Amino acid sequence: MNLIDETRALLADAHDLYRGTPQAAHLDVLAARLEQPLRIAVAGRVKAGKSTLLNALIGDRLAPTDAGECTRIVTWYQDGHTYRVLAHPATGGTARQLRFHRDGGALHIDLGDLAPDTVSHLEVTWPSRALRTATMIDTPGIGSLSDRTSARTWDTLAPDTEDDTPADAVIYLMRHLHRDDLDFLHAFHDTEVSRPNPVNAIAVLSRADEIGVGRLDAMASARRIAHRMATDPQVRRLVQTVIPVAGLLAETAATLTETEHTHLRALAQLTPADANALLLTADRALQGLPDLGLTPEQAGSLLARFGLFGLRLATTLLRHNVATTATQLAAELAERSGINQLREILQTLFFQRRDILKSRSVLSALDTLVRTHPRPGGDRIAARVEQVIASAHPFNELRILSAVRAGWITGKPEVLDELERLIGGEGDEIHRRLHLPPDTDTATLTKAASQALSTWQRRAENPLTSHELALAARVAVRTCEGMLVRLRAER
Amino acid sequence: MSVTPSTSRTTPLAAATAVVDLGLRACVAYGRDDLHQRLAAVRRSLADPRVHVVVVGEFKQGKSSLVNALVGAKVCPVADDVATALPTYVRHGEPAAAELMLDGDPPRRQPLPLTDLPTWVMERDPTAAVTGGGSTGAEASERPVGVEVRVPRAVLAGGLVVVDTPGVGGLGSGYAAASLAAASMAEAVLFVTDASQELTAAEVEFLRRARQVCPTVACVLTKTDFYPAWRKVRDLNQGHLRRVADGEVPVIPVSSTLRTRAVTAGDRRLNQESGFADLVAFLRDRVGRDAAVRLAQRAAGEVIGVCDQLQAQFEAERGALADPESARRVVEQLNQVKARVESLRSAAARWNLTLTDGVADLTADIDHDLRARIREVIAEADRSIEDIDPADTWPQLEAWLESRVAQQMLSTYTLLKQRATDLSEQVASHFAEASGQALRQFPISDPAPLATSVEVDHNLDLTRMSTGKQAWVALRSAYGGAIMFVMLGALTGFTLGPLALGIGLVMGRKGLKEEKQRQLAHRRAQARAAVRRYCDQVSFVMGKDCRDTLRRIQRELRDHYSALAEEINRSHTEALRAATEAANRTQAERTKRLKDLDAELARVRELRRRAEAVTGSRAVVTR
Repeated sequence: MNLIDETRALLADAHDLYRGTPQAAHLDVLAARLEQPLRIAVAGRVKAGKSTLLNALIGDRLAPTDAGECTRIVTWYQDGHTYRVLAHPATGGTARQLRFHRDGGALHIDLGDLAPDTVSHLEVTWPSRALRTATMIDTPGIGSLSDRTSARTWDTLAPDTEDDTPADAVIYLMRHLHRDDLDFLHAFHDTEVSRPNPVNAIAVLSRADEIGVGRLDAMASARRIAHRMATDPQVRRLVQTVIPVAGLLAETAATLTETEHTHLRALAQLTPADANALLLTADRALQGLPDLGLTPEQAGSLLARFGLFGLRLATTLLRHNVATTATQLAAELAERSGINQLREILQTLFFQRRDILKSRSVLSALDTLVRTHPRPGGDRIAARVEQVIASAHPFNELRILSAVRAGWITGKPEVLDELERLIGGEGDEIHRRLHLPPDTDTATLTKAASQALSTWQRRAENPLTSHELALAARVAVRTCEGMLVRLRAER
Repeated sequence: MSVTPSTSRTTPLAAATAVVDLGLRACVAYGRDDLHQRLAAVRRSLADPRVHVVVVGEFKQGKSSLVNALVGAKVCPVADDVATALPTYVRHGEPAAAELMLDGDPPRRQPLPLTDLPTWVMERDPTAAVTGGGSTGAEASERPVGVEVRVPRAVLAGGLVVVDTPGVGGLGSGYAAASLAAASMAEAVLFVTDASQELTAAEVEFLRRARQVCPTVACVLTKTDFYPAWRKVRDLNQGHLRRVADGEVPVIPVSSTLRTRAVTAGDRRLNQESGFADLVAFLRDRVGRDAAVRLAQRAAGEVIGVCDQLQAQFEAERGALADPESARRVVEQLNQVKARVESLRSAAARWNLTLTDGVADLTADIDHDLRARIREVIAEADRSIEDIDPADTWPQLEAWLESRVAQQMLSTYTLLKQRATDLSEQVASHFAEASGQALRQFPISDPAPLATSVEVDHNLDLTRMSTGKQAWVALRSAYGGAIMFVMLGALTGFTLGPLALGIGLVMGRKGLKEEKQRQLAHRRAQARAAVRRYCDQVSFVMGKDCRDTLRRIQRELRDHYSALAEEINRSHTEALRAATEAANRTQAERTKRLKDLDAELARVRELRRRAEAVTGSRAVVTR
């Protein structure tokens, strides 16, 4: 029986036990959650670019973005058959349907007579392919002037216990900060959606194009910084990795229009010197673009959509014929914005593990429920929950993973790297665990897995191995055995 | 000597220089080499005025780029990731050169090739610093505390010294306190924030406090070339500043990129567009002029002091000459005063006792204050450790502790400064009482008030004399130590030992809870011990620094008043000699000398009048 089935069975038993109590409804919600897409929250400080990144990931300009602070209510974006916006009141009770309209892409929601701080969260249902795999949660940044509103929103979102979290995984957005900066750590600790944990969290170095102040090599610089951050011990124990993303560029790439492409082509017709002079400053671009046949409004919107970095990059790409059509340009810009890398990471670290992550959320919620609302026979459920949490191999892997990343397991760096990879630190696929190319054939994989098995058996039994590493080695051995079973089945 | 009253319409510095030069010639003419020495020192400071402008702001706002663009030379290394780690002092000099300032005993300077600047000024490899747990190895007997770069640039020729500071730690941390301390020493503060977003709450608060400690503050909005919405951000910032500083803090939008281009291409229009023209004008007209006026007033104040002494000497002689009958009386009076003046010089003089006792009391009080503050911090830290698991929140606690300690140190320094100022005023009043001469009081330090009202020090302004400045330097070096202490983050040496947390995953379920409790208790004990070790070291360093500072202040005040006592004594001796001679002169001689004396007195009065013109109408206070 695999993990998700076990969780389902446990929920069914719990449901029998709590039949007729108010908790039964909660259990229904939990059961439904197992079948729903993974929930990913986007969190971070004010003005970190959360909504922009969310739009880029959805591939649609749904969340409103602005130069000022604009997201004030937690908003869920989920897939569905109809377009609908619901407001969930902070006091509980039934949700209210709200009117909305789209203006230039962004969604405008009319709260009507509702005060923002009486709303726990908004639920936007939108037919979208991207939302089919994950429900995205946009959050207001903490540390803003509207602190009270956001704090209150968090209260409702993350009820009394920290285990019962609404999100299965979290993307933390942070701007470029010094490692000694207090805010650097606040970027992770401010939010209560989910406590940071290297198992279900990654960090995004947002607004990456600003780091080099719009130079064409800005992203390379941002990658170096992200890499450095990812190796910082303080960051390692909070998130799995740090990825630089130029959010604005990614959002624009996902929603590039033919008109914009035409405008960019006109810009690319200029000589490099003229184009550089025009794109020297934002002010000059605004003044110079109308000479190319754009209306001032179009010039303003082009600059707002691309930023100087985007304009410089797109012009260069078009001029050198790296991209000629709008589709090609969009693909190139997306690639350079870092969003593809982020998607890939989300795929390997979150989506491939969605059953584990969802079971994890549901089991901890169930555990809390059983403990806070005891019923005769409830301790049996609690014991089984604990048993699953303690013994399920995927959980053991995750626990060892966080222990390695937190630096609690000590050993040679290369051994720890190998261990981290083997237990799925870079993704669940077998070739990733064995550090082999994706197209490796089954025979080679089997050989490598057997080798790893004997290596880790030796390490587990070696009396010189530290106690913690020996225990981790035993988990690694289980992993290798599991891989061999999977490989045999494939053959 | 002759006095030509017409040059006062030139710059304050030129006017002050002319007045001081006249004073110097007078001292030579009257053979007063003691007074000459004093004025010569003033003359030197006039020839080489220093206007310190401190550039502060959060990490990565473009502080170093701003300094580079301002002086039109790459004097501060700039990089996307690593940050500035040492303050860089950029001033005028020909040819271009750099020196590393080392904090040894005694402090020394070491020439540095310009190409080596990045290796010293930038942070060392950040990954290494993270894993290595701070700056190990470099802690020999000397550590670098700053870099001075001299470049031949017209914008610096007026004596401007631009100080680029490290922005490490964020304004919520100890860095803020250290920057404020630096700001209180400076003539002006340029607060740097970029146009990506409006001022944060922490930035606004910093600006508000900077405004209290520094007379001139400006907010420079950088990277206007990159952010299309910079005008909106500028307006928002102006709104914030109006609230906290009554609009006395201007917002100057600039683009360092454009300015650098403009300087390279010699493009005047581009320079205008970069916004630097406004910044340079601000530095020249507001900062430079204010500083020049202050320096000129100080110099003219010295000249007035010299005039007072000369005048006293001549008037005594004149009194004896004009009326032979009263000559004896004058001599008698002078003799009486002479005893008093001589007693001024002795170690038992009241001012001297006041000074000695005052410093002793002050040392004890400061020590007590420091201990009380540190105890308070420890108690607060203990309380919060009780509520947390250090494994989760130690980094935040560390940062909090550093910032809290920095604030407390700043408070202690503020107290030290105020009390030392009070003491110096007391000593001055006792000295004045004893000397029978309304001497001006000597401010112990820059009276930029940390808590006191702004009105008071307008009166103190002209009383800033060289000795006050010396004591101020003494205080400043103390501040400097504190700044570097905070900036180096002494806590980095006190990370917690290895936290045995992972055991939890390897133990059976039964003992897990007790084990977790036990480990938590152990971690808390470790954290408390680390806090105490840190606080101990801070008290030790601070305590020593305060005692040293007080000793320096005592020595400087004593030297100053002793020298002054000597000068007064000399004036009296001269007067007495002249008066005694006068009594024995013939009528013809007397008439001639009287005419000379009247002429001399007129000249001294004229000199004094011109000096007063430089200090402004407020100079009348001295009489």
